[in-house]
Amino acid sequence: MTRAGSGALVAVVLLTAAVRSAWAHKPSDAHLHLAIGGEVVRGRLDVAVRDLDAALALDADGDGRITWGELSSASDRIDAYVRDHLTVTDGGAPCPLALGAAALVDLSDGSYRALPFRARCTGEVRAPEVSYRLLFEIDAQHRGLVHIEGHRGRSDKTLIVRDGRPVRVDAGGDAAIADFVEEGIRHIWTGFDHLLFLTALILPAVLTPSRRSAAWPGPRASLRDAAVEVLEIVTAFTLAHSITLVISAVGFVRLPSRLVETAIALSVVAAAANNLLRWVDARWAVAFALGLLHGFGFSSVLVDLGLPSHELIGALLGFNLGVELGQAAFVAVLLPPLFAIRRTAAYRVLLRGGSAAIVVVAAIWSLQRLSS
Amino acid sequence: MPGAHRRRKILVLAAGTLGLATALTAAATLVPGRDGHLARTYLPRDASVVVARVPRRAAGEVAARAALARSPERVEVAVALARLEIQRARTLADPRYLGRAQATLARWWTLRAPPPEVLLLRATIEQALHAFAAARADLDELIRVRPEDVQAHLTRAVVATVTGDYPAARTSCAAVAAHASSLASETCVAPVRAITGDAAEAYRGLARALATASDRDPAVRAWALTTLAEIAIQRGDRRDAGDQLRSVLAIDPDDVYALGLLADLLLDEDRPGEASSLLAGREPVDALLLRRAIAEHRMQGAEAEELARRMRERIAAAAERGDRVHLREQARFALEVDGDPARAADLAADNWGVQHELADARLLLACAAAAGRLRLAAPVVAWAHQHRVRDAALDRLLERLGAP
Repeated sequence: MTRAGSGALVAVVLLTAAVRSAWAHKPSDAHLHLAIGGEVVRGRLDVAVRDLDAALALDADGDGRITWGELSSASDRIDAYVRDHLTVTDGGAPCPLALGAAALVDLSDGSYRALPFRARCTGEVRAPEVSYRLLFEIDAQHRGLVHIEGHRGRSDKTLIVRDGRPVRVDAGGDAAIADFVEEGIRHIWTGFDHLLFLTALILPAVLTPSRRSAAWPGPRASLRDAAVEVLEIVTAFTLAHSITLVISAVGFVRLPSRLVETAIALSVVAAAANNLLRWVDARWAVAFALGLLHGFGFSSVLVDLGLPSHELIGALLGFNLGVELGQAAFVAVLLPPLFAIRRTAAYRVLLRGGSAAIVVVAAIWSLQRLSS
Repeated sequence: MPGAHRRRKILVLAAGTLGLATALTAAATLVPGRDGHLARTYLPRDASVVVARVPRRAAGEVAARAALARSPERVEVAVALARLEIQRARTLADPRYLGRAQATLARWWTLRAPPPEVLLLRATIEQALHAFAAARADLDELIRVRPEDVQAHLTRAVVATVTGDYPAARTSCAAVAAHASSLASETCVAPVRAITGDAAEAYRGLARALATASDRDPAVRAWALTTLAEIAIQRGDRRDAGDQLRSVLAIDPDDVYALGLLADLLLDEDRPGEASSLLAGREPVDALLLRRAIAEHRMQGAEAEELARRMRERIAAAAERGDRVHLREQARFALEVDGDPARAADLAADNWGVQHELADARLLLACAAAAGRLRLAAPVVAWAHQHRVRDAALDRLLERLGAP
C-alpha cells in the first residue's frame, strides 16, 4: 500500500476509533440561573472557561493553560460577549443588563466563570423572556440550561435552550400542594405492604374485644363500635408514620432503605401473625409502634425531590394528607362488607386463612428485601 | 379495665400528636434552606492559578479560522478544521469538540446532499453522538456517489455492526478489502464474524493478519489488537485478551477504550484492586470514572463514596441537558453501585433500543436477572438465536436465567 494509502488508512482508523471512544464528559453546557422579583430579573450566568476560550481565545501565551490572571485580563471582552449574546425582555421591552463581579465555580466537568447580573425592567415583571445566544455559533451541541427559581408558591423549573430564540421564563406550575396530596394518595394505594398492614389490623375489628383468657371472640353488636376501633387504629397509624415521615424527609434521621423496607415487611408479618396468635389485643398500640417504621418508607419520595425548606413543609403536609385520605378510603371500603359477614363461617376462614396468607406473603417480601 | 385502657390510649395518642407537632416545628425552623442549583463561587488566590486546560492551537489553525471567517464558502478549509476538532474529541475523550466540528460545518450541515467530505464528517459526528440512523443514511448516500471511498465503507461497517445489521457490515468490509490493506479489512470484518457465530475463525484470521501485516503503523496495529482482544474476551480467553490490551496500552497509554476493556476484564476476574489502580487519575473520563467507582465499591475502598458521588454528579449533569448517550454507563452504575436493579433494567432496555453490541446484550441480561424481570431478556435471547451469537459472558448469563 502506498504512503498516501496508509496515511488515509490512519485517518480512517482515527475517525473510526472516534466511534468507539469513551467520553470524558457530556458536551458543552452553560447555566443561566434566574430569579424574578418585582421589577428586576436577577441571577448568575455560569459559562465553562474552556468554552469562553473557544469563543474569545483567552490563552494569551498559548501554553494550553488558562490562568486566573489570563481570565481576569479578558474580563471586558467576556462581558461584551455576554452582553451581545444575552437579552432579557419583558413583554417585548428590553431590560438592560448590568453585570456584576465575576468569580469561579467548579461543576462536574471543570471550572466555570460565574457572572452575576441584574436586568432592570420598566415596571413590574409580567411576561419575562430570555434570548440566550452564547456559543451556538462555535459549538452546535452547546446547550443553555435556564434554571428559573420558583416564586409566589411555584416550583423551580429548568429549560433547555438550543438556539437563540426567546423563551418565556415563568416559573413552574401553581398549586404544588395539590400535587403532593395526589402523590400521597397514589403512594398509599400502590403501597401494598402498607395496605396489607392496615388490612391485618382491621380484619378482627368486627369482633368484640377479646380477653386473654376468653375463647375466640364473638361478633360485635354494632357497626359504630367497629368503626370506632378502626378509627383508633388508623389514627394511631397516622400519627406514628407522620412523625417518622417528617423526621426522615427533612433528614434528621437517615436509615438505609434496604433495612427500612425489610422492617416494614416484617411489621406486616407481625400484624398478621398477631391475628392468629393473639399476642397483643390492643391493636391500636401495634398500629402506633409498627407504624413508626412505615413512615420511613414513605419519605423516600420527598427526599428525592430535594425541595428547599419553605416548600418542604407544605409538601410534607400535602403528602401526609394524601396518605390519610387514601387510607380512609381504603378502610371505608373494607369495613362494611367485613361487618356484614362477621357472623358467617366465611369470615372465620377469611380472618384465619387471610391472616396466614398475609404472613406468608409478607415473609417472602422480607426475605426478598433483605437479600436485594 | 376499660377506664385504664382508655386513659392509656389517650395518653399515647396525645404523646403522638405532641411528637408530631414538635417534629414539624423543628423541621420548619431548623432545616436550612436549600439553594437549588446554585453552586458556590470562589475567587482563586492569585493570578497564576490554572483554571482550565485547553488544547493548544495547531499550526495554521488561527489562520485557517480567519480565512474561513473571510470566505465562509471555502469548504476545504472548514473540512480541515472540522477534522482537527474530531481528532481532538477522540484524543481528549471529550465530545465538546464534536459540537465544535459540527459548528464549523454549519453552512452545509442541513443540506440533504452536501459535498462528500462533509458527508463523511457529518456521519462520523452523528455516530459519535449515537444518532445511528442519520449516520447510516449519510454513509449510504456517500457510498452511492463515491463507491471507492474506504473511509466511508469502514465507518459504515462500524455503524452497521453496532446496530446489528450484519449483512451490510459484511458488504462494507468486502469493499474495504478491495481498496485497503488486508489488516484493515480483517479488522473490519472480524467483529462481524465473531458476533455471528464464527468467533474462532475470526480470531484466527485477525491474528494471522496481525502477524503477517506489512503495515507497521501503530494506530492501525492498536485498533487491530483491540479488536482481537474483544474477540478473545468473547471466547473466554481472558489471559490472551489481557496481554493484547496491555500491548495496545504500550502503544498508546491513554487509549481510553482499551483502558475500559482492561478494567472490565480485571473486574470480571475479581481483581478490583488492580482495576482501581489501573484507572487512578483517569476520573475526568466518565467511562473510566464509572469503572473505578465500581471497583472501589466492590472493595468498599476509601474512595468508594467520593467516586460514586462524582459519578452521580456527571449523570445528573447529563440528564439535565437531556442527553441519552450514556445509557449503558448509567445502567451499569445503577446496577453495580446504586444497587437499583429495577432502574438499571429500564436503562439497559432503553440502551438496547439504540445499540446492539455484545456489551449491551450482556448488560441487559445482567440487569434483567438482577431485577427478576426475565421478560426484558427476551429481545436479547431472540437476537442471540437469530445471529447464532456465542459469547462466554452471555452464555453464562443465559444459563443463570434458565433460558434455552
